[in-house]
Amino acid sequence: MHIPDGYISPEAAATMAVISIIFLVLSWKKAKATCPKALAPLLAVSSAFVFAAQMINFPIIYGTSGHLVGGTFLSIILGPYAAILSMTVVLLMQALFFADGGIIALGANIFNMAVIGGLSFYIVKLIAGSSIKGKRFFIGVFAASWLSVILGALACGLQIGFSPAFIEAGGITVTVPAMLFWHVLIGLGEATITTTAITQLHRVQPAILNGLAFLKREAI
Amino acid sequence: MKGYVKVLTLIAIGLAILIPFASSYPDGLETVAKILNIEEAEPIWKGFMPDYTIPTIENPYLSTLAAGFFGLITVSAAAYILGNLISKQEETK
Repeated sequence: MHIPDGYISPEAAATMAVISIIFLVLSWKKAKATCPKALAPLLAVSSAFVFAAQMINFPIIYGTSGHLVGGTFLSIILGPYAAILSMTVVLLMQALFFADGGIIALGANIFNMAVIGGLSFYIVKLIAGSSIKGKRFFIGVFAASWLSVILGALACGLQIGFSPAFIEAGGITVTVPAMLFWHVLIGLGEATITTTAITQLHRVQPAILNGLAFLKREAI
Repeated sequence: MKGYVKVLTLIAIGLAILIPFASSYPDGLETVAKILNIEEAEPIWKGFMPDYTIPTIENPYLSTLAAGFFGLITVSAAAYILGNLISKQEETK
């Protein structure tokens, strides 16, 4: 879902950069106010996991592949705001060193994967309430991770739809349905991996799931 | 802390095992562009390791593996610094 430079118009890229910066500043403040002490090693390891997982594409159908994004996964471990910052670190390194996602498109990519991914935490909260175990929690994790990819793809479809190359091909009336079609399927992979990983962590090492503390809070 | 280094090592080993199995099919967005006959524009910034390969290493597996390890180290270092910055306030209380 990483948008390369050239698939997004300068206007759309600038708009998304401004929106993402606002979310990053808010996340920074929220994370600073709410993050537990000594989060650094956990943040390092979970970001590294997401980076590695994003390198491993899995095939879906018709010669297309997808990979874990990991936004919901990070939000359960780090809480929504540190998750947004963590994913931003991954996206920044990918753009800087590996040209995976454009430099101009970075703001859009941060919005589609980091912001939507981190905030998908509230879908878990909506479904699970303050329950941190049992069926409803895991259904919440599954739904949130699936939807995080679908919503990211929707945003991506809208953003690229306004670039000159895609306008010629039909604009958002073409890019949005096409992005949604593929990512409804890719999202199922995301949901399966995320739910499995969180289930295992919940069983083996529930103490590291800091996001659970956020679930228990009444208002964040 | 020791536990975290262990997990990081396990992630590196997992990556080394899974790289050969990673699908090289285009991803969702690339497929959409392909179907619409849109060529990828020349990137403004190519990075040092385009497509997770180190140009000077010929073996494709080792090239991707080295790029991956480099990424793991830089991502975890940057995230560690970030973690210290955002959890600092609480420590000084």
